[in-house]
Amino acid sequence: MSKTALIVDDSPTMRQMVAFTLTNAGFTVVEAEHGKDAVNKASAGGKMDIVVTDLNMPEMDGITLIKELRKLSAFKFTPILMLTTESAIEKKQAGKEAGATGWIVKPFNPEVLLKTIAKVLPA
Amino acid sequence: MSNDFAQFQDAFFEEAAEHLAIVEEGLLALEQHPQDLELLAKIFRSAHSIKGASGMFGFTALAQFTHKMETLLDLLRNEQKVVTAAIADLLLKSTDCLKSLMEAAKSGVAVDEETVQRLTTELATASALEPQPPAVQEAKPTAAPARSDGQERTYHITWTPPEWLFKRGLDPLQVVKELNGLGELSAVKLDMSRVPDLNLIDPEKCYLSWELQLLTGRDLKSIETAFEFVREDSKLSIEEVRSTESGGHSDERKVSAGSGGIHHGEGSDPKPLGEILVESGVVSPAALEQALAQQKRVGEILVEQKAVTPRQLEQALHTQRQQEVAAQTKKADSTSIRVDTAKIDKLINLVGELVITQSMLSDLGSRFEIKQLPVLLERVAQLERNTREIQERVMGIRMLPIGTAFSRFPRLVRDLSAKAGKKIQLVLSGEETELDKTVIESIGDPLTHLVRNSADHGLEPPEERLDNNKSEVGTIRLNAFHEGGNICITVEDDGRGLNREKIFAKAVKQGMVGENEKLSDDQIWPLIFRPGFSTAEKVTDVSGRGVGMDVVKRNIEALGGTVSIKTVTGKGTTFTLKLPLTLAIIEGMTVRVGQETYIVPLLSILESIQPKEGAIKTVIGKGELINVRGTYLPMIRMYEVFTLQPEHTSPMKAILLILETEGERVAVMVDEILGQQQVVIKSMEQNFRKVEGIAGATILGDGTVGFILDVRGLLEIARHGAPIAA
Repeated sequence: MSKTALIVDDSPTMRQMVAFTLTNAGFTVVEAEHGKDAVNKASAGGKMDIVVTDLNMPEMDGITLIKELRKLSAFKFTPILMLTTESAIEKKQAGKEAGATGWIVKPFNPEVLLKTIAKVLPA
Repeated sequence: MSNDFAQFQDAFFEEAAEHLAIVEEGLLALEQHPQDLELLAKIFRSAHSIKGASGMFGFTALAQFTHKMETLLDLLRNEQKVVTAAIADLLLKSTDCLKSLMEAAKSGVAVDEETVQRLTTELATASALEPQPPAVQEAKPTAAPARSDGQERTYHITWTPPEWLFKRGLDPLQVVKELNGLGELSAVKLDMSRVPDLNLIDPEKCYLSWELQLLTGRDLKSIETAFEFVREDSKLSIEEVRSTESGGHSDERKVSAGSGGIHHGEGSDPKPLGEILVESGVVSPAALEQALAQQKRVGEILVEQKAVTPRQLEQALHTQRQQEVAAQTKKADSTSIRVDTAKIDKLINLVGELVITQSMLSDLGSRFEIKQLPVLLERVAQLERNTREIQERVMGIRMLPIGTAFSRFPRLVRDLSAKAGKKIQLVLSGEETELDKTVIESIGDPLTHLVRNSADHGLEPPEERLDNNKSEVGTIRLNAFHEGGNICITVEDDGRGLNREKIFAKAVKQGMVGENEKLSDDQIWPLIFRPGFSTAEKVTDVSGRGVGMDVVKRNIEALGGTVSIKTVTGKGTTFTLKLPLTLAIIEGMTVRVGQETYIVPLLSILESIQPKEGAIKTVIGKGELINVRGTYLPMIRMYEVFTLQPEHTSPMKAILLILETEGERVAVMVDEILGQQQVVIKSMEQNFRKVEGIAGATILGDGTVGFILDVRGLLEIARHGAPIAA
């Protein structure tokens, strides 16, 4: 059974790139445009094996999204990776406090993306 | 590495252009509402998106510059800085700079480094807060490549993760697995001493610690990456266990957890030989440079060895250059378009209907009886409906709202009003009107010129307006709407209107018209579209260089459109551009010459006449001329140009079409006018080769190929009198 990834980014290009990489790696991909969209898609049911989210988004930002997801029982322990351009400590800290499993600093290449996912994804 | 993402570059540029537009529009709106935090957040987000994505494609200059803008925007949105006119201006200028950087990234053209540098500095200055905070920047972890010197070492690792490990979706097993992937794990000990009594256990907390032994050829850094997301919150120690030879004396490199700055001997990229020699002082930098200068290129060496002749080399280099150019052009040419999914869904629906109609028809055809003829006709009519609708929808895919072309004007008008010292308000309407993407891209410049013209020449200075009982603020209106199969765009100002006397005087001075000629208004106004015509007394920064209006006309005509002027002295001027909805289909007049059918673009036909005896004269070196109401026009016999057998060889029996393009006229002789119809243009170059005098081909109703005349090309032929070799 292929694993399902929820990709949250307001930039269609970024979303496409992440989705492309993950699809090629055998994932089933669900895309969301922003936090609210993601929460809706997450609460609609269906198991997600991993969530990859951008931070800066309209409607609902990534940090709030992570907090909201952690409130859902199905996402309590799901690995959530945040994509961030800031390698700044505050962002990482805020992410960790919200419940982010890990982070990927932009710019990244497909290899880094897949490696980081493998790092947090339970077999 | 990022090559895998390269295929998304086009999508990126498209998206980035949209973000740029948002930034620019937002900044303009910000000048009116400097307190609008939501707006600032939106601008920030767009800048941020550009930065993030441009880094992904390795557009470092772009990413760095956007970062500077973003820093300032961040301060503004967090209310640490206030939006002042100067800051808004700086950000707008930076947006322009960003545009050129984007262009540079796209097509490789050079950017004005000086401007980039200057704006970068200005942005940095504007972003400085008093008192200057110390630069709190995390020391960037230098991505040292995993040192694999092959030497295996044993590390002793003890790890106590934070209790909340599970709450972040982290799994200690993953860490252990990753370590195992680095080398050989041994002596894995699980420490459960911290696990409390059963009744006190919180199942969501982690009470465990590990002690492991890892034999690996990788360095400390790679081992630490396994703990990347937990290191700072864990108790972690990684110690190298030196081989027993050292006599057990404590020669261990100890790394304690949580310490930010761990420094190790980092493996770095191997340096070029020259650099190493210079560093070790064996040779001087100057000597190295000299040696490098003596290095020859492959071509030179081959020539020396007489493997190739200089001429062959020159040719090869030429080919190389051509390929480079071709590669670049190709890159610039391919464009993509984003289509609303609703449009595609509708199209799929229609294709479904088409398939149904087709199967009904083939069913009917397999057992057809003559009494079913009405059913057949009905089905065919249905097929026609389907086809027409699909045609419209497919064309619709290329359609974009014209708003994208309008969006640049608020900024332009703002800058113009500041420069010209006039108060101008811009009113946009009909932004949602859709037209072909290619047309949208091509009308930007002509429209810009018309708007500039209105702002500079059309509208009066505030004092003059007040004197004339007008509002101090001048208005420029841009409107777009559909009319028949065309789209009309109007640029309207409420300024002083065109000055008849001035234009006439100028035209006389330029020798365009005679001093005593009597011209109607409709003849006077188009004079401003003549090349070299400009009535502005002084050449301003904005317009009035005498180029422009003629270019406007030429560009619009190249798109198969027309420009017209309406003006009332003291009330204002309106320019109306009339454009076809698409470039792929034209309205054409079908004409016959002998057995062949040709299509003449309807827009270029002025009239058709049957000349009287004696109206045609032959002038040596100029070919035949025809007198049309006192003006002599060159005449072309189509059958001569295309070597055909005509029905009529006498112009008095045939029909002459008077065609016009770019202000020049020509009379073309054909046998008969058949009718008027829409034709889909098929490129000649793509399907056959370029033919002088022919703009393209199309499939006619009876299935034969008809050629579309190129009026411009016919004029050339008339000028040189060279018939085409069939």
